[in-house]
Amino acid sequence: MNTKTMSHSPVSTADVVAGSYSPVVQAAGLSPGAARVSRLFDLLVVIAVVLLFTGAIHLHVMLLAGDWDMFTDWKDRQFWPLVMPVVMIMFPAALQAVFWNYFRLPIGATVGAVCLMLAVSITRPMQFMVWTDYPLNMVLPAQMIAGALVMDMMLMIFRNALFTAIFGGFAFAFLFYPSNYIIMAPYYVPAAHQGMMASMADMIGYVYPRSATPEYIRIIERGTLRTFGDSASWVSALFSGFICIFMHYGWWKLGMIMSSATFLPNNKKVMAMMGIRADQKSNG
Amino acid sequence: MMFNCVKNFLSRLRTLLLFVLALVPITEVMAHGERAQEPYLRTRTAQFYDVQFDRSKVEVNEEFTITGRFRLMQDWPDAVSLPETVYMSAYAPGPVITRVESYLNGIPARQSFSDLQLGRDYEFKLVMKGRVPGNHHIHPMLSVKGSGPLVGPGVWIEVTGSKADYRQEVKTMTGEVVENLDTYGVSRALGWYAVWIVLAAFWLAFWLVRPLLIPRWIVLNKGREDLLVSGRDLAVGIGLGIVVIGITFGGYAYAKKEYPYVVPLQAGTNKIDPLPELPSNVAIKVVNATYDVPGRAMRIQAKITNNGTEPLHILEFTTANLRFINKQAPGASAAILRGAPTDTVARGGLTLSDARPITAGETREVMLEASDVLWELERLVSFLTDVDSKFGGLLFFSAPNGQRQISEIGGPILPTFIQL
Repeated sequence: MNTKTMSHSPVSTADVVAGSYSPVVQAAGLSPGAARVSRLFDLLVVIAVVLLFTGAIHLHVMLLAGDWDMFTDWKDRQFWPLVMPVVMIMFPAALQAVFWNYFRLPIGATVGAVCLMLAVSITRPMQFMVWTDYPLNMVLPAQMIAGALVMDMMLMIFRNALFTAIFGGFAFAFLFYPSNYIIMAPYYVPAAHQGMMASMADMIGYVYPRSATPEYIRIIERGTLRTFGDSASWVSALFSGFICIFMHYGWWKLGMIMSSATFLPNNKKVMAMMGIRADQKSNG
Repeated sequence: MMFNCVKNFLSRLRTLLLFVLALVPITEVMAHGERAQEPYLRTRTAQFYDVQFDRSKVEVNEEFTITGRFRLMQDWPDAVSLPETVYMSAYAPGPVITRVESYLNGIPARQSFSDLQLGRDYEFKLVMKGRVPGNHHIHPMLSVKGSGPLVGPGVWIEVTGSKADYRQEVKTMTGEVVENLDTYGVSRALGWYAVWIVLAAFWLAFWLVRPLLIPRWIVLNKGREDLLVSGRDLAVGIGLGIVVIGITFGGYAYAKKEYPYVVPLQAGTNKIDPLPELPSNVAIKVVNATYDVPGRAMRIQAKITNNGTEPLHILEFTTANLRFINKQAPGASAAILRGAPTDTVARGGLTLSDARPITAGETREVMLEASDVLWELERLVSFLTDVDSKFGGLLFFSAPNGQRQISEIGGPILPTFIQL
């Protein structure tokens, strides 16, 4: 152990901020100055991670889930609890792998969930309220924070990718529906309109015209899950949980691959592929 | 207070963006790109007619009505999906107007319709309401699944007043009166988002306040994992997990109690019968049709047989919302209904080689000339690049007793690029 760093010297505010007296810093053998620099590095990385993943995860979810997350009148009992977690778990699982394997930080899924929340908190009001005059209740997003927190807990408990996939991945999907139902419940209250029943979500979708999004384009309430009566949502949530076990494991592996630095061997074959002769000298 | 600050900020940002946009040189903003649709979509699918807007200027919250009819053409293009699932609506630049009621053949049109029939007519009624002040180009629109929107003729509607005054009241079937649908459930939703964000922020802060990346990476490589995730961390994590699960299922149970009567989103299509077939005593056979590119004129040579008992005048040729009216025919002055869109009525009208009425039992070969710059303005001449060079439209006839007959006309068309 580096006894030099444990010597009794006056504690400055910078040292406290840098955590110089943390057992982790001491075990790492960092001097107070190095600890301060590493803290600055932390800050820069956090800013970069937030900016990068806020954009990336938002793009990812919008491309794959799209209207199911975009519009209130797409959030049905069957496809919404099924599709959303399957799409949403991808980045959190990959982030979990990176944060856990290199730093033992059980926050990857939560980082992903918060980045998505941050992105939709900017885009929904800006795109729909400010730019195109739609009401916010037409475009309320789903949140995955509840599932992400539990998935991070599972990782911390099991410290194992497979068990996190089985229990954490399942919990991520299974908690999606109830944790979002709390938010969406008022929009399933029925109203009568032109002699027909409509949920309040249907009413919102009807009243505010989306010219290029006719009613029939919604992919909702289709299939044979009605054989389960009004429990279709829970069947969807269970099935989604089952799929998310595999999704989590796959994206964990992908996270590991994408965070590994690999280099092409500098042999004759690769040089030939790059158009360089083996006997050619570099000017540099 | 916080909400007002955000609202003010967004309002200022919007003003700034609009100011920046105002600096961009835009000569003309023409609605929503209906001219960009390929001509065969507009000339050979749904032909709108008798379209009327009951007013052109409304206050915010004031209602106006769009009525009219459309004929689904028999010669429906192969490249366009059949109207097996359709949705009747109005085309507007966003929710500057809102929908109050809509009907197709008198049946509520909140949901889609299935299995519409080619060669038959349908009648629509759309009750709309002003929401955002401005001058907006509004059209009736029939969306066809697999093909997209087929847009009817539009007019400019001026909405005056303040958007802040807009209200859309809805009474739920549980007796709750929602004063304004714009804001229904929003504050409740934001509150719940805040709960989840606070929990996530706590968990992230719990880890981020400690030395983060480099020290942890070094320590992990030294094999001192025990320092990185302690028993206290595990206890806090498990505690937070229990809180999250408790809030999730407790909140779910609370929401179920708060809203005991809920329904699934309403989906599915309605069946609808077409309007009764109109009596038509006219048979039309197109002999040839040409489009004179430099002259911007469509010329149709057709054999028209009057199988009825009354002489018939050729009153109007309409296609893709363009209207060419024979000003010599009886009823021509009444052909343009009050509140009908006039932007697409050709000034020159319809010219006939023989303007006399076609007598009962007579077959006559007539040359119809529909000449106007509107062909160019509405970008309909690009039908010359269509894969099947055909035209389509409706021909209206009027009898001395005022009765109107409608027949489809269509066939191959030859372009004339240069005068030989």
